[in-house]
Amino acid sequence: MRSAALFTALLCAAGSGVGAAAERPAPDGENLYRHGQLPTGALLAGSRDFGANVTGETAACVNCHRRSGLGNVEGNIVIPPIIAKYLYRTRQANVLDLTLPHVPGFTPNGWAYTDETLAQVIRTGVRPNGQPLNALMPRYALDDESMAALIGYLKNLTTEPVPGVTDTTLHFATIVTPDADPVEKKAMLEILQRFFAMQRDVIAAESRPMRASREIMYRVTRRWQLHVWELTGAPETWQRQLEDHLATEPVFAVISGIGRREWSPVHRFCEHNSIPCLLPNVDLPVVADNDFYPVYYSRGVLLEADLIATRLFDSTAVQPRRLVQVYRSNDIGVAAAEALATRAKAANIAVEQRAVPASPESRGASSSGAALKRAIAGVDRNDALVLWLRESDLAALRGDVPTRSVYISGLMGGLESAPLPVRWRAATLMTYPYDLPELRRVRMNFPLGWFKVQAIPVTAERVQTNTYLACVILSETLGHMLDSFVRDFLLERMEMMLSRRLVNGYFPRLGLAPGQRFASKGGYVVRLPATAGDKLLAQGAWSTP
Amino acid sequence: MSRSPSSWLITGVVAMALGLAAGDLARADDSDDNHAHHHAVPTQSAAQRTTAEYTIPDVDLVREDGKVVHARAEFDDGRPVLLGFIFTTCAAICPITSATFRQFQDKLGPNEPVHIASISIDPEQDTPSRLRQYARKFGAGANWQHYTGAVAASVAMQRAFEAYRGDKMDHAAVAFLRAAPGKPWVRIDGFAAADQLIAEYRAITAPSALASR
Ligand code: HEC
Repeated sequence: MRSAALFTALLCAAGSGVGAAAERPAPDGENLYRHGQLPTGALLAGSRDFGANVTGETAACVNCHRRSGLGNVEGNIVIPPIIAKYLYRTRQANVLDLTLPHVPGFTPNGWAYTDETLAQVIRTGVRPNGQPLNALMPRYALDDESMAALIGYLKNLTTEPVPGVTDTTLHFATIVTPDADPVEKKAMLEILQRFFAMQRDVIAAESRPMRASREIMYRVTRRWQLHVWELTGAPETWQRQLEDHLATEPVFAVISGIGRREWSPVHRFCEHNSIPCLLPNVDLPVVADNDFYPVYYSRGVLLEADLIATRLFDSTAVQPRRLVQVYRSNDIGVAAAEALATRAKAANIAVEQRAVPASPESRGASSSGAALKRAIAGVDRNDALVLWLRESDLAALRGDVPTRSVYISGLMGGLESAPLPVRWRAATLMTYPYDLPELRRVRMNFPLGWFKVQAIPVTAERVQTNTYLACVILSETLGHMLDSFVRDFLLERMEMMLSRRLVNGYFPRLGLAPGQRFASKGGYVVRLPATAGDKLLAQGAWSTP
Repeated sequence: MSRSPSSWLITGVVAMALGLAAGDLARADDSDDNHAHHHAVPTQSAAQRTTAEYTIPDVDLVREDGKVVHARAEFDDGRPVLLGFIFTTCAAICPITSATFRQFQDKLGPNEPVHIASISIDPEQDTPSRLRQYARKFGAGANWQHYTGAVAASVAMQRAFEAYRGDKMDHAAVAFLRAAPGKPWVRIDGFAAADQLIAEYRAITAPSALASR
């Protein structure tokens, strides 16, 4: 079901440009630019003097000039913007155009391309002024039809007005699903509202003179405006609701957000509408290799499943006879259990999936005890038992631990404050896809210090920290963009700068790249200390399964 | 835009303390930087050759087949080595390095006792299975291995070869050749043609070169 819907979303996204359907760039040009495919269906081929010829995907312009066409700086190589708006005027003239994004690959010069000279530089690698291009840029012996399609594409690329950006204001949305935890939701919204208010204060306090320098010219400081999109009702209706929100409140990007059990409609909305959706608080994101717009902190419980699989099946130690997994039939453990079962089957280990009926909406959990007891019945010491359960269920576990190989999900179970009964504590292993508390302590001074200054009580530290971090990352990325408000470029800049950050709250490090949409890749497996509040007992080093 | 990690840290910390974007503080130098680089860029394949003594660090790497190997033992097995740094999601520069390595491999043929090594500078993303995929994509044969490992191990390797630039996004094209353990490394900065690597390889592995020091 989910994958079919996703596939449709992918197909739609592949065909859509940044803007309205009427102005959609020619698919031929897009195919050539993004996928290295010629209108005839043949593969694009690029050659270089020193060999290293490229074809197809590898030859596609998008690899270097990026999806926005605004170029990049890679290592010591400047990759210039190649949207027509840049190339068809003298770059000196571009300097004076405040509507034109200022990008790192920019170099001012006194001449402009025409269709003929542009075709010529793409074919020969020599600029009209006789200057040969850097060896990185391949030469493309394109036929006239392909060239026309390509140049047509470059003329449309990144030309549409960007929604959510006005002369004075940058509009952002955050998305809250109806199943979000109320405490976490409130905590997240408070961080966002305070951060946005602070940004406005900073802007108000700034009286930056418009100096006649290139960098400053482009810089018009805009205040940020937050729109809170609260979803209601069934997940099937969310995408529609979001599209309605977007129509009435156009935004540049979606920042943070919070969900609990279901996030895929939000993911599809972002991808379908070409909106960057940055770093929401969700533990089950959508993994879709070709999607561009949604960016997550990590793969969440799917990462936890891989951490467990690596320990259970990849080591040379004794493997379990059987994998028994317990999860609520309406919670994110379903997907995690499925992912882990696939790994188990690949390792020829029998799997038993024990779904416990949906938990009652009240987080009471008196009847949970009996249901869980039934689910665990018959597990013995040759089995591995994995519990994809929330805190209330963990607290309701009874009796003795049936095996020495018990795993719980840290994300679902409350991390170091997982309320396991005493008899279960010592025997249980927990996945912990964050840096260990003592290792992140110094780093945490930044968010915690800010909360203190802002007089924000710490009610949901993880969510508050991740939300604050998302805001800081957004703010930095926008700074790096020199106010070039282009959605694709926002993500491209984030890919470039994220791994350079050294202070990342709960995470030891973050990083993205073209095609990478999960910023943190690893985690620990830990034991809970005998006494709550003591140090977690890490079982081995941080690992990236 | 190469930038030392420490300056990023400071920029980040100061900016966070002020609640500003790091970009606000870093902005002034951005475009000037780029301009300077633009002129420093070598045009058509002006690869630069130097020789250097590098010591392979005492670290473990993880090979694409999942096996943990000791870097020194792996590269000091007696065979000549061609070594480079890549990451699998690198779209602009690494594909050239890998395409060139492939041509080098193919021109020498499968019977040449040479060890080609590509080491990931994004090791957390580049799991052994992703490396296997990448190796397949670039036609790596039996003599060409890809390596990942802990972040610290990858950084140690990059530092040992003076190829560490602080972040994967700041990497530059560079290849290293060595005839045998104990011999100096030939370092080729920039985009080397496969023929250039082969000529270099033939020169350093010629009996006369191996006999001398
Ligand atoms: C492997 C990376 C790479 C790929 C792929 C690539 N380019 Fe380039 N391109 C570059 C670099 C680097 C430069 C800048 C060269 C210089 O400044 O000397 C460049 C320059 C250009 C220029 C000249 C811009 C100017 O300001 O004069 C044009 C036009 C161009 N590329 C178009 C394309 C098109 C169209 C494609 C796809 C068919 C493409 N490039 C694919 C790397 C690439």
